[in-house]
Amino acid sequence: MFNEITITDGTAFKVAAAVYGGAFLFALVVLLMRRAYSRTIMFALLCGGFLIQTLALNLRGAEIKACPLGNPFEIAQFLAWSLVLLFFIIGPAFRLRLLGGFTAGLATILSAGSFIIPSWDRAYPPGIFGGNHWIELHAALAIFSYGFFAILSLVSIMFLIQQHGLKTKQFKGIYRYLPSLQQLDLMAKRLLLTGVIVLTASLAFGAVFWVSNFELVPVYKLTATCLIWLGYLTVLILRIQEKLATRRHAIATIALFALAIASLWAVESARESVEPPAQGAPIQTER
Amino acid sequence: MSEVLESLFVLGTSHHATPLEVRERFALTQSQALELQKLLHQHEGIRECLVLNTCNRLEIYGLADCIERVEEIRGLFCDKQNVSEELFNQYAYSHSNLETLQHVLEVSAGLDSQMVGETEILGQLKQAYAAAHDTECTGKVLNRLFEKSFQAAKEARTQTGISRGQVSIGNVVVDLASRIFGKLNGSRVLLLGSGEVSEKTAQALKSRGVGDITVSSRTFENAHKLAHSLGGAAIHFEDFNAQLEHFDIIICSTAAPITLLHKEVIALTMKQRPERPCFLIDLAMPRDVDSAVEEVENVYLYNLDDLSSIANENLEARKAEIEKVREILNKHAWNLWLQLRRRELMRKA
Repeated sequence: MFNEITITDGTAFKVAAAVYGGAFLFALVVLLMRRAYSRTIMFALLCGGFLIQTLALNLRGAEIKACPLGNPFEIAQFLAWSLVLLFFIIGPAFRLRLLGGFTAGLATILSAGSFIIPSWDRAYPPGIFGGNHWIELHAALAIFSYGFFAILSLVSIMFLIQQHGLKTKQFKGIYRYLPSLQQLDLMAKRLLLTGVIVLTASLAFGAVFWVSNFELVPVYKLTATCLIWLGYLTVLILRIQEKLATRRHAIATIALFALAIASLWAVESARESVEPPAQGAPIQTER
Repeated sequence: MSEVLESLFVLGTSHHATPLEVRERFALTQSQALELQKLLHQHEGIRECLVLNTCNRLEIYGLADCIERVEEIRGLFCDKQNVSEELFNQYAYSHSNLETLQHVLEVSAGLDSQMVGETEILGQLKQAYAAAHDTECTGKVLNRLFEKSFQAAKEARTQTGISRGQVSIGNVVVDLASRIFGKLNGSRVLLLGSGEVSEKTAQALKSRGVGDITVSSRTFENAHKLAHSLGGAAIHFEDFNAQLEHFDIIICSTAAPITLLHKEVIALTMKQRPERPCFLIDLAMPRDVDSAVEEVENVYLYNLDDLSSIANENLEARKAEIEKVREILNKHAWNLWLQLRRRELMRKA
């Protein structure tokens, strides 16, 4: 089916990033004019970007015959895709004002930012998951949980902005259109819980492989993943115990997401330096 | 030239030029206003009429067979209200034809209101129009005029910032509370003191869904009376400190010469409700709440100056939009005027 499509995955990724960028610019310009943007337009733009990005991921997946999560570029693209997908689920259900604009902003950073360093889209041997579907499911779920944490960090940023506005008695511009503190706080709690559940499930699926092939799993990757999982789990437990609430909770989730992204990059860079493609192995063509 | 349209008029008094004590003398009850409307409609030469009666204005809109009928209406109103014509003439204004159109458009858009851009007047105008329409006091011209004015008001509000931001203390508080809690129906309110501003603020909160209001005042009878009028409960003044943790919004307006709520008390309260924010509104002079309370996490403290400055800034922002609104309304007034003239000419032809 994808052979009939003349567009390349790289072009589709670029177009999707441009559409997300357009959605973010639209939100920014309307907000600078001190007005609320049209949710319909925002939804349509994000929908457009999402569909093009889905096509791009499918083209890439068809090429490597696996879920495209083999290098930092693909991870960033998949993360942006998960983020927008989650927005489609959360946005209409909870009607959080401005979440679309913030989602468009982060999706632009992730999808357009991944083009900045060309080496991120490095070639790798096909069948990176060794044909093991558990590992493929583990990787997809892990990145999907990062999608939850990405949207959680956006909600936390919105919370901090709204709180800053209320504390410093500002009421114009963006402050007027942000959702209420309670709404944002409740949403953050739900997203954290769901994200931790998905990440735990991802680790459980991964463990099926690790237990029997422990020597094949890089220690730095296992350590980083477990540390991130432990970090989110700790925040969740503290939140349930009401020991970490509101502002500190928001800061913790933003910091953890930054750490999670940094760890992904570190893990991928380490893998690249430690595991060069085997000589003679079929290598994916340069993009 | 159409004679009919030449005698489209508005006669009235409003808060702009008429002091409250004089407006009280002109004021009508709703039934008196309907009675006057009926009387005017039965008056010889009055083809269509509508009486707009609010606390800030009394206006009679009409279409007569000649403009001189306005003088007869002045006399009729003064006789009915038992006020001297000199007094009425001193404060009354009248407009005719295109000016009438421009006036009704400005009234419906809230440009002529005491609080520029307020939307209550549009509802009052719609009610007055519905009553006049039901009793067949309005006809083709006034029907078109009022329906167009509602459209123009909506357009002005959506295309400009004339109704943006709240301009009364009560509504500013409601706005801020909504930014903290979202929907207010689950919020619990404590009124400390029974001052007029705090009562109005509580009423504004109640109108937005707050169902749980508690009043505490040094004089328990006063607290009980206010609580009864707000549909809430009263607690003894000595007990409020122990119950602070249960309240989301605390409105203080006591005459106490000392600070009632200190940082330590509020910090302790917030430990018992770490996930629920607390909105403190200090309307008292001297202040009831220590300003250091602001430093407590998840506590939002606003005093009278903060609220007034928000209201004033919003009002200034609305005033800055007046010219834009006038431009939109003038366009509508001209179009409507030409439409009415054209229709009149065609009818004659």
